[in-house]
Amino acid sequence: MVPDFLTIAEAAKLIQQRELSPVELVDSRLARIEKLDGKLHSFIRVLADTARAEARAAESDIAAGKYRGPLHGIPLGLKDIYETAGIPTTGHSKVMQDHVPKADAFSVKKLRDAGAVVMGKLATHEFALGGPSFDLPWPPARNPWDTTRFTGGSSSGTGASVAAGLVLGGTGSDTGGSIRGPSAFCGLAGIKPTYGIVSRMGILPLAFSLDHAGPMAWTTEDCAIMLQAMAGHDPTDPGSANRPIPDYRAALKGDVKGLRIGLVRHFHERDNEVNAATRNAIDAAAKQLAELGCSVRDVTLSPLPEWSACGMTIMLCEAYSIHEANLRRRFTDFGENFRDRMVLGGLVSGADYVQALRRRRELVAEFDRAMQSVDILMTAAAPSEAPPIDQVPKFALFERPSLTIAFNVTGSPAMSVCCGYTEAGLPLSFQIVGKRFDDATVLRLAHAYEQATPWRGRRPNLQ
Amino acid sequence: MTRQELDQALARLGLDVAAKERDEVVAVLPLLQQMLDRLRPPGGRDVAAEPAHVVKFPEG
Repeated sequence: MVPDFLTIAEAAKLIQQRELSPVELVDSRLARIEKLDGKLHSFIRVLADTARAEARAAESDIAAGKYRGPLHGIPLGLKDIYETAGIPTTGHSKVMQDHVPKADAFSVKKLRDAGAVVMGKLATHEFALGGPSFDLPWPPARNPWDTTRFTGGSSSGTGASVAAGLVLGGTGSDTGGSIRGPSAFCGLAGIKPTYGIVSRMGILPLAFSLDHAGPMAWTTEDCAIMLQAMAGHDPTDPGSANRPIPDYRAALKGDVKGLRIGLVRHFHERDNEVNAATRNAIDAAAKQLAELGCSVRDVTLSPLPEWSACGMTIMLCEAYSIHEANLRRRFTDFGENFRDRMVLGGLVSGADYVQALRRRRELVAEFDRAMQSVDILMTAAAPSEAPPIDQVPKFALFERPSLTIAFNVTGSPAMSVCCGYTEAGLPLSFQIVGKRFDDATVLRLAHAYEQATPWRGRRPNLQ
Repeated sequence: MTRQELDQALARLGLDVAAKERDEVVAVLPLLQQMLDRLRPPGGRDVAAEPAHVVKFPEG
């Protein structure tokens, strides 16, 4: 009997020791999807037959001594903006519901090369922006901690499916917080790696200069395992960095004593004031990190609305440029949330866009100056626990400045880490941010925090 | 931007937006304008301050 919940690291150890069969593991997840996804809607498409075939191939390879590593035989899900050869990739949109790519996305190929089993394509906000929406060909994903609640987005299906134990990990993308938001609301670990670490080739774009691809999983260790497979230079992605990829999992073992943490308190206490439960949980997390030997002091950056204005302007313009032709031809084939948000992109001028790029250069320089005296920044990942799914305003992005897009502007590694639960049992989180290309330190600190706290021992009750 | 100005802008963009959605867009435009105003610092920016070329960040 396979447990309802397993981490990638736990399953990998059992598979390597031949105490768990990949076929058995995949069958157990398919049964769980069958049982639970009718109310979670985390999958757009379940690939049962190919997943079973991939699991059988993994089992056969492992039996023949060809073990590939900790993703071999592990069932994962792909956000449905990651292209898959011969399998529809829709962006959760009517506009692309018949789009069948000829090739896998670069990062999907790398996950397959590592032996991962692709269980299916996961729900997303339409083209990674328009959600939660109830007027698309597929319903929005629901939060496994409380199905009346929002998963966060846009990597909504990944958040829901991993939290529910339908898959052991999944892919997300993050243009303004789309990995960190659903990770926060669903209680996961999720890292937006440094810009350029993971290729975006074959991933439907939202905004070229802000888009990041990365993993979401139950633990930081699992994120490190997935990132190891996904990362690497891709000459076909113009933003791809050509530099050696460190051993992220090995880096988890390092000491965090002496790390200098800058708490950007004004982001979440003044600029976008979080609720009391979140604030208390972040304060407790900062105290915990100090007990682990880190030094924690307040750091002040430009007010959050400045970062948000820069990032949102760039995002709206770049996204509008991508979807302009279809918006003209097929406006009502898009969901209302997506198309009306895009209208705003059409109203931003070229001069506004260039001013945003100029502002970006100033903000990146400011961030780099701040990081000279600290190793890590820390703030909120979300303003509260997950809100009711039917109470997310269409233009919420404009009502309060984003807590996450600042680090898309800077291209920095940024991660959501669960730091407790509300009295009603909904996850709370905080955000850890590192220097560009120092993803390993972000992962190391998050892992140390998880090891020192009990939060990873609790899972949603889905009975 | 007034509703009439929005209608003209949408016509230029070639977007066929329903009246109800136009009303909602008009209502949020002040927030969009506030956001755009933040991109221009008081006193202006040095004319020689170039935009960032950030598709590939410096690696140092």
